[in-house]
Amino acid sequence: MSTRLARILTTIFVLAVVLLPIYWLVSTSLKSNREITQEGTLYPHVPTLDNYVRLFTEKQFGSYLTNSVVVTFFSVAIALVFGAMGAYAIARFRLPFAAERKVGLFLLTLRIIPPVVILIPVYLLMLSLGLLDSWLGLIATYTAFNVTFCVWMMESFFREIPVDLEEAAMVDGDSRFGAFRRITLPLAAPGLAATAIFAVLVTFNEFLFALALTATPRAMTMPRGTATLIGRIDTDWASMAAAGVIGALPIVFFALLVQRHLVRGLTMGAVK
Amino acid sequence: MQTGMQARKYRLQGAGLDLALPYLMLAPGLMVVLGVLVYPLWDGLRASTRAYRYGSPISNVGFQNYVQLWSDAQFLNSLWVTVKFVALSVSIEAVLGFALALFCLHEFRGIRLLRTVLIIPMVITPVVVAILFRLIYASDAGMLTALSEAMGGGGVQILGNPLNAFIGLVVLDVWEWTPLMFLILLAGLQSLPHEPFEAARVDGAGPWRVFADLTFPMMRPVLAVAIVLRTIDAFGTFDQVFVLTRGGPGEATRLISIYGYDTAFKFQQTGYAAALFVTIGLVVLALAFSAIRLLRRVDAS
Repeated sequence: MSTRLARILTTIFVLAVVLLPIYWLVSTSLKSNREITQEGTLYPHVPTLDNYVRLFTEKQFGSYLTNSVVVTFFSVAIALVFGAMGAYAIARFRLPFAAERKVGLFLLTLRIIPPVVILIPVYLLMLSLGLLDSWLGLIATYTAFNVTFCVWMMESFFREIPVDLEEAAMVDGDSRFGAFRRITLPLAAPGLAATAIFAVLVTFNEFLFALALTATPRAMTMPRGTATLIGRIDTDWASMAAAGVIGALPIVFFALLVQRHLVRGLTMGAVK
Repeated sequence: MQTGMQARKYRLQGAGLDLALPYLMLAPGLMVVLGVLVYPLWDGLRASTRAYRYGSPISNVGFQNYVQLWSDAQFLNSLWVTVKFVALSVSIEAVLGFALALFCLHEFRGIRLLRTVLIIPMVITPVVVAILFRLIYASDAGMLTALSEAMGGGGVQILGNPLNAFIGLVVLDVWEWTPLMFLILLAGLQSLPHEPFEAARVDGAGPWRVFADLTFPMMRPVLAVAIVLRTIDAFGTFDQVFVLTRGGPGEATRLISIYGYDTAFKFQQTGYAAALFVTIGLVVLALAFSAIRLLRRVDAS
């Protein structure tokens, strides 16, 4: 009986710790600035959606959202295609000098280095190519990061699929690439999904490179735009809270939708 | 058996165009990586040996930037703050995550809700996590102040005080990343074999004995991997600090990534900042590789 009580209490405690900050964000976003600073209420006494309306009419949150969606979509899609092909090559072929294994190890090493290490030279590169403050500059950068990740993750999924199936397809007249495309790829679909989901999360949330590489609503992503808003209006808590809600909503919704795949992707590398 | 499989793989490679296939499949990804990651890495190394003025290189200074780092009080301070931050956050997360995973190992009502809710902190955009905590810590609009006033107290000062701001940053990190630790360790616990635990139960071992003699030793590799992953990640923490405190007050929360960013983009000391980042990269790589070697040795024994 006492274990049950302990369980209930612990569950309630954990839920409260996780959800209270989120409650406060949402609650603040529904108050007016006067209510926030002068009355210090614990819940919105006069709820208002003004803060949200302002984000889209006075600030450029529509643009930020569009930029984020476009950049995330393209960089994840391209990285998935390139990454799946690379991962397959590493998982299945034996090249001279074990080149495929060296490439795999090399990509993994690149993944370990914190991205901040190449922030300056990537900035200089985009500057010299005239790609600062553009979709293309961000897409190129994120695609590269996502490729290292996709190759690493997809490789283990391909290894789990038996070679026999491809052999059978090739006996039936498929080319090697045809066997990959029609047999292996569909079988690896759950792995592809988990990889894509994880890449979407990381890319949508990325801030550091967006901070250095973009400067105007033309290319600023959600995290970048949200941070800018905060810099400029230090005490406009209401807008800040609404921006936080808008910034977090798409990705939290997405994560809860694909929860099962997500947990698999998050924990896979560590447990194996 | 091994050679048989090997031979089959060679045979699979076929002839003609198929011989080029592995290279064709590797090429697109590698080209992007070489262009956008490897070239900049090399360029960064080159920049780190130069002095810059107004964003353009003016002279070669060799290793002087690297030498200068170790007599730069601000660099040394940011390194110390980072080490403190990483050590404190990751160990708290490991302990809490492990405890929570053990707690959730036995199915009970509400566990699914708990697991779903625990996903939220680590998927929320880090910038927004920082906003969450600014709204909690703010002395005028903050949740802590509101709670304290509701209970008859006064305003609460967090981000204006060096020690409190640092603790506030650690609390943020623990809130955000304990769930990841929890998920990894829970997956690890669920993959442990059942037999030893049943044998221990038959022998009448108490829960503490089971934990000390079975669970913990068997979980050590997973725990080590989780800690290494989090440590590497925490070393590069930037977004949350940038939005929460911008490194302040003073230098209390100025992590090395923030100092590097300011050196490069605020003070325009491109070469010096590049040397700083190369140094961080080497430290993290060394950390990762020694961790991997350590793990291999644990696996072997």
